[in-house]
Amino acid sequence: MQTSTGTLSKRRRIFWLVPLIALALPLLTNPYTQFIANAMLIYTLVTLGFSVVIGNLGQLAFANTAFFGIGAYASAIASTNLGLPWLATVPLAGLAGAFGGFLASAAALRGIRLYYLAIVTMAFGELMRWFYTHTGVLTGGTDGLPVSRERDFGLALTSDTVQFYVFLIITCLLVAGTVNLLRSRIGRAIIAVRENEIATASLGIPTSQIIVTAFMWSGFIVGIAGAMFALHTGRVFPESFGLTQLIVNFAMVLVGGLGSVAGAVLGAVALTALPEYVRAFPGMEEIFFGVIVMVVLLVMPKGLASLLARVSPIFQQRYHRD
Amino acid sequence: MFLQLTLSGVSQGAIYALIALSLTVVYRSTTIVSFGHGDFVMAGAFLTYVLVVAIGIAFLPASLIAIVAMFLLGVAFSRGLIGPIRGGPHVGLALMSISFGFTLRGIARTVWGREVLPMPRVFDIDPIFIGSVVITGDALFIISIVAVLLVVFFTVLHFTDIGKMVQAVYQSERGARLIGIDVERFHNFSWGLGAALGAVAGVLIAPISLLHPDLGASFLIKGFAAMTLGGFGSLAGAVLGGLLLGVAEQYSGAYIDTTLIDITAYLLIIAVLLIRPRGLFGRKVVVKV
Amino acid sequence: MTSLLKVEGLSVHFSGLKALDDVSFELEAGQVRAVIGPNGAGKTTLFNAISGYARPTAGSVLLEDTEIVHCSPHLIAEKGLRRTFQNGGLFAALTVLENVMTGLHTQTPGTFFDVLLGRRKAVEAEIEIREKARDLLKLMSMDHMADTPAGDLSGGQQRIVEIVRTVASEPPVLLLDEPAVGLSPVARQQMMEIIKRLSGEKGVGILLIEHAVELVMAAADRILVMAAGARISEGTPEEIRSDKAVLEAYLGHA
Ligand SMILES: Nc1ncnc2c1ncn2[C@@H]1O[C@H](COP(=O)(O)OP(=O)(O)OP(=O)(O)O)[C@@H](O)[C@H]1O
Ligand SMILES: [Mg+2]
Repeated sequence: MQTSTGTLSKRRRIFWLVPLIALALPLLTNPYTQFIANAMLIYTLVTLGFSVVIGNLGQLAFANTAFFGIGAYASAIASTNLGLPWLATVPLAGLAGAFGGFLASAAALRGIRLYYLAIVTMAFGELMRWFYTHTGVLTGGTDGLPVSRERDFGLALTSDTVQFYVFLIITCLLVAGTVNLLRSRIGRAIIAVRENEIATASLGIPTSQIIVTAFMWSGFIVGIAGAMFALHTGRVFPESFGLTQLIVNFAMVLVGGLGSVAGAVLGAVALTALPEYVRAFPGMEEIFFGVIVMVVLLVMPKGLASLLARVSPIFQQRYHRD
Repeated sequence: MFLQLTLSGVSQGAIYALIALSLTVVYRSTTIVSFGHGDFVMAGAFLTYVLVVAIGIAFLPASLIAIVAMFLLGVAFSRGLIGPIRGGPHVGLALMSISFGFTLRGIARTVWGREVLPMPRVFDIDPIFIGSVVITGDALFIISIVAVLLVVFFTVLHFTDIGKMVQAVYQSERGARLIGIDVERFHNFSWGLGAALGAVAGVLIAPISLLHPDLGASFLIKGFAAMTLGGFGSLAGAVLGGLLLGVAEQYSGAYIDTTLIDITAYLLIIAVLLIRPRGLFGRKVVVKV
Repeated sequence: MTSLLKVEGLSVHFSGLKALDDVSFELEAGQVRAVIGPNGAGKTTLFNAISGYARPTAGSVLLEDTEIVHCSPHLIAEKGLRRTFQNGGLFAALTVLENVMTGLHTQTPGTFFDVLLGRRKAVEAEIEIREKARDLLKLMSMDHMADTPAGDLSGGQQRIVEIVRTVASEPPVLLLDEPAVGLSPVARQQMMEIIKRLSGEKGVGILLIEHAVELVMAAADRILVMAAGARISEGTPEEIRSDKAVLEAYLGHA
């Protein structure tokens, strides 16, 4: 028994092979595929952050897109209006996203749960989008807001290859941090809250604090992903953070497997790459995401991660049991 | 001015009321919130448009066909996509309805591209002047159709055997099952009815607004705001909430700032849920240890 | 000697309904006090009021001389009063071992940042409570189930694991809400053994709600009898057995 968990944690080290192999990726890509690869890293974080709240904490909160937008705009505003170097805008975006997470958790703590939480967080996201559109002085309105990739600490982010390595480091750090959290007593408490909030409190666990922590961590990593998105595209627009973004993120979480870290990576990678083939035709992307989510819900409700779990127990996930 | 605003608010609110009612019909019977409902509204409007403009059918039969088609689509959705996962987690149910709506939106976009479509005016009712208040033909049309529909709906619900059966299922699904009601069929019917009522809203807005595949999203949120305000799950609350939202939008637009019209619904949702989560008529939820 | 838990004049009224009305009693270390009464007597409400889940309309609860009546559930639990739930409170998706580890949450050192950055302190704490949880399961002969999801256990096993989880942090006061309900006669007997062992060996003060009278008589030092929210009798098992008022009220309702 003892040895089984010991070897499990040792075996988990093979996960570091993934970023190691990824290091070589820029050798194989052309500018277009490199651009997509960078987006995969961004969406890995977005999906992971979303998954922590809806998968692990089990709260039906749709504020994820809001955190993404808040991070992107925080980065762009810090860059354009405050003139900060791009690297400095990244942690700022994380903090801004975490603050968004704090606001969303306030709703959950007020006893707003389930569909109510879904609706209020959806309203929160749409409200943010209205804010980006109507406060032109700060956000550039519908013209968008540029973010500078030039200013640097000896490092310009203008090349997609450089960008890839920077994003890879950020993503690895945040994924590792999330894994640490989820495998700790905090991660267990997060799942405990999902399973039975009342019983969780009876063990002396401050459930409100756990809920706030999960939301803020989710906001933090998605906020950072937002900054990466801003740096990636060079300019942020309000429309990037609407309901379409929400369903794309949703699809990634679900296709990967709710509440699973490996699933989040898989879902993000798979669904960033595939729709590129259909993007040229108006509407096809929506049909693609819509149909894929419906099919996954019907035939593989635990996502790609459930396939991995059959291969090895290290991919075991702790989602709702049937 | 005030009366005029109230009137346009009521006319706009009638649409919201209809959407909130259609959401509530689904929610009350299945306890599922239909996050794709805005796209049912959109699909109703688009179908009408196609039938009128591309095929050349008159508006009235065209809209009837669209509504019936949406009813069938709602039933099919319930049977084919919701039924198999009904016992599963809420996230899955919410996602299923979102993605179905998303697919409808994609289909609309594939067919119509990124254009915004105006529909030719189908009827011209002369405006009525009462003192300084102008009642436009469109407002008259919408308000009267919705009023008739609501009267029929609530009459059926409260004074017929079918209505009593529906209320019985609302009270207790287990009880309904025991007295031999086919609850699955009832769920399917409710999805159909919800989609059809949503389509009616689509039909009503089709002649008076510009159509584009994304129009559903904003109506969905208005519907949610109306439901939240009226109290989740209350049919009468949904209607009243819709009317109040319509009026509130007009007031905040006229007296404060026109850009506020767009976000009145969001602010209302957040305010209601933070101050009085059960809305005007909703029941308080008690969690027992 | 001051008592471990002192409940005085505790009342919970739900809009007119007196679910709990002016109940007082004391609990000492190593004592098992049973709370019995017909369905709806207010036993669970008493537990809820003590453990912070129901807001008392009047009264006081002293835990080792500290007033806890308006504390939130997690604070009360942290102060050393823990409870189980009538309907079971295990986390079905977590393994048995992880369930017990959640019971040790408050005793695991390491801040959020220690955990996030994978600092040695947090890693070692994690290993330590994992071992401790395993040892606790071994004591109850449940260690072979350690890696099974709790939702896959039988009803009886779930009850036992819930108790292991609840006592893992060694709370001085334990509230058990019908721990033997739905168990086989053999398992019930085991449960009573466990309860006696906790009070006898560890000196835990235990409040026990239980319907099976013969078990109560065997396990309890003192018994509190409730009906319709009020205390109708109190005493040793022998005294209760011969109390006419109890028989009448109890059998009259049951
Ligand atoms: N949150 C609540 N709101 C309103 N009434 C409540 C609430 N909780 C309990 N009650 C009522 O208080 C009374 C006592 O209930 P309680 O659960 O304490 O009984 P009990 O003695 O534990 O019964 P049982 O043996 O069935 O578990 C019951 O009439 C119950 O309906
Ligand atoms: Mg009880």
